[in-house]
Amino acid sequence: MVYWLPQTIEASAGKFPEREAFICSDRSLNYGELFLQTNQLAQLLAELGVRKGDRIGIYMHRCLETAVAIHGIMKAGAAYVPLDPHAPPARTRILLQDCGIRVVVTIPGHRMALKKVVDEPEQTGLSHIIGLKEEWGIPTIPWEAVFQLPGNQTPGVNILGSDLAYIMYTSGSTGMPKGIMHTHNSGLAYAKLSAALFGLNEHDRIGNHSPIYFDISTLGYFTAPLVAAATVIVPEAYTKMPASLAQLIATTQMTVWYSVPLALIQLVQSEALDSLDMSALRWVLFGGEPFPTKHLRTLMELWPGARFSNIYGPAEVNQCTYYHVPAPPETNAAIPLGRTWDNTQGMIIDEQDEPVSEGETGELLIRSATMMHGYWKQPELTRRSLFKRTADHGVEEIFYRTGDLVKKDAEGNLVFLGRKDRQIKVRGYRVELDEIVNRLLQHDAVEEAAVFPVKDVAGQWVIHARVTAAPGMPITETVLSEYLQEYLPRYARPEKITISASIPRTAAGKINHQELQETTTNPGNP
Amino acid sequence: MNDTLIRYIEEELLGGEQSIAAEDDLLSSGLVDSLAIMRLISFIEQEYSIKVPPQDMTIEHFISVDAISNYIKSVKVS
Repeated sequence: MVYWLPQTIEASAGKFPEREAFICSDRSLNYGELFLQTNQLAQLLAELGVRKGDRIGIYMHRCLETAVAIHGIMKAGAAYVPLDPHAPPARTRILLQDCGIRVVVTIPGHRMALKKVVDEPEQTGLSHIIGLKEEWGIPTIPWEAVFQLPGNQTPGVNILGSDLAYIMYTSGSTGMPKGIMHTHNSGLAYAKLSAALFGLNEHDRIGNHSPIYFDISTLGYFTAPLVAAATVIVPEAYTKMPASLAQLIATTQMTVWYSVPLALIQLVQSEALDSLDMSALRWVLFGGEPFPTKHLRTLMELWPGARFSNIYGPAEVNQCTYYHVPAPPETNAAIPLGRTWDNTQGMIIDEQDEPVSEGETGELLIRSATMMHGYWKQPELTRRSLFKRTADHGVEEIFYRTGDLVKKDAEGNLVFLGRKDRQIKVRGYRVELDEIVNRLLQHDAVEEAAVFPVKDVAGQWVIHARVTAAPGMPITETVLSEYLQEYLPRYARPEKITISASIPRTAAGKINHQELQETTTNPGNP
Repeated sequence: MNDTLIRYIEEELLGGEQSIAAEDDLLSSGLVDSLAIMRLISFIEQEYSIKVPPQDMTIEHFISVDAISNYIKSVKVS
């Protein structure tokens, strides 16, 4: 019986050892090989003293080794923690410490970036790095050595479905990133629900465009092994060159695609789709942020043979609703979030935590099998993110507060209307504007700081900041943007920082974000 | 041409913190992200008075400074 995630690979390897499991560029792993290599990695981790419940970092971008790392770590009973090799070194060090990570798995290609993170090894608390040859005061084990270990058996760790499987970090409004904890139960529930909803089987080839620190990646890494499908990991270079990406979709004969809308918009704009044979592609899934309807219409007209679905759900619940777009939309009205999927309950509540009347706007709460366990080491934050009620039979029902404002339309579909707080999506990435404010305020020379989003010509959010200097502390925009570079990922850094004598405030003394937005002329939109 | 491109990438896209060679892989390493690539393309269009059509935005043309130079030369000739 399959009740923890790597068992999906064992089952698929038993049935289809020769079928391709993961493909990246000109390399691939079949299920037999993946079963073996994940055993080898798990074996090594056990030898290094990794125990059930430990956290292991994966410092990798899109590559074949991600699949071995994700399932190998979980086989050892540990939880995997994706680390973004593009993130500023200081931010990665914060995650390593917050999560108590002692072992990191990487590939030689990220050597230079990782070197900056472990500049002072004693500060990071790392005991081993897997995937490198040279040592920097920390013992390393190259992949070649991993693959020489015996791998016919999975280490005998007693893993339960309710044990921790992975922790994904996301922007936190206090200035500290927060780690979303998922269990084998929640991961496997997602795999089963998504496999059923999209009718996936061993003949599918799933296009995975998402890096492993995005929950979108779980379709390729969890659902595909459950049904013995193949996952095509889109190599880094293709994500930057849309015309090449279009060719990749055609030549690898992807049948299912899942990404943020931006990747699809770039495909449309590449004008490279007409000449290619995309007949294998049967289902296009998009999520992470709204897909501008006009671009979706163009894409649906270009790919008439494929179905299109809007997928919605914060990483805390992975996915919770879907909307199958019936036909190319006739108007530019926003695409609905749709309905909650199986084994999931949605509820819309008002400011007093009372359910709203039919058709009224409120915050969406979700109760589901895919829900997170909580935020890593943040019981108070976890408590505030949940809504609990006791049903008549005495059993507690726990809902996650999405923070998303929605209403139900006449057809019963949920429609997204905005955020309850100050979180925005920049190219699919979640950004808490107050994380940037708090980071700015931690700079000695900053007296006050306001951060607000402005739409650019293409309708995408661009972040702006307005800052006043502390008395007697001259400050420049350059100094501040270099300071933010140390702590914030690229997508979360303000496009423009303005030093100003004052920041507009409302009558109540609060920062007047509306006035800031209205008076800011976007440089791209003179 | 290589020197101009390298100078632009180092100073404008990498913030003067890193040096690159003409044959370095710009795309796979994560050295430049997709927004930086868009800026690089507008720079090339202005500097060399060419138009880079969307279907030319391929890995072969933009993998390295060497590849970009070859691409610009081929567009200029045709």
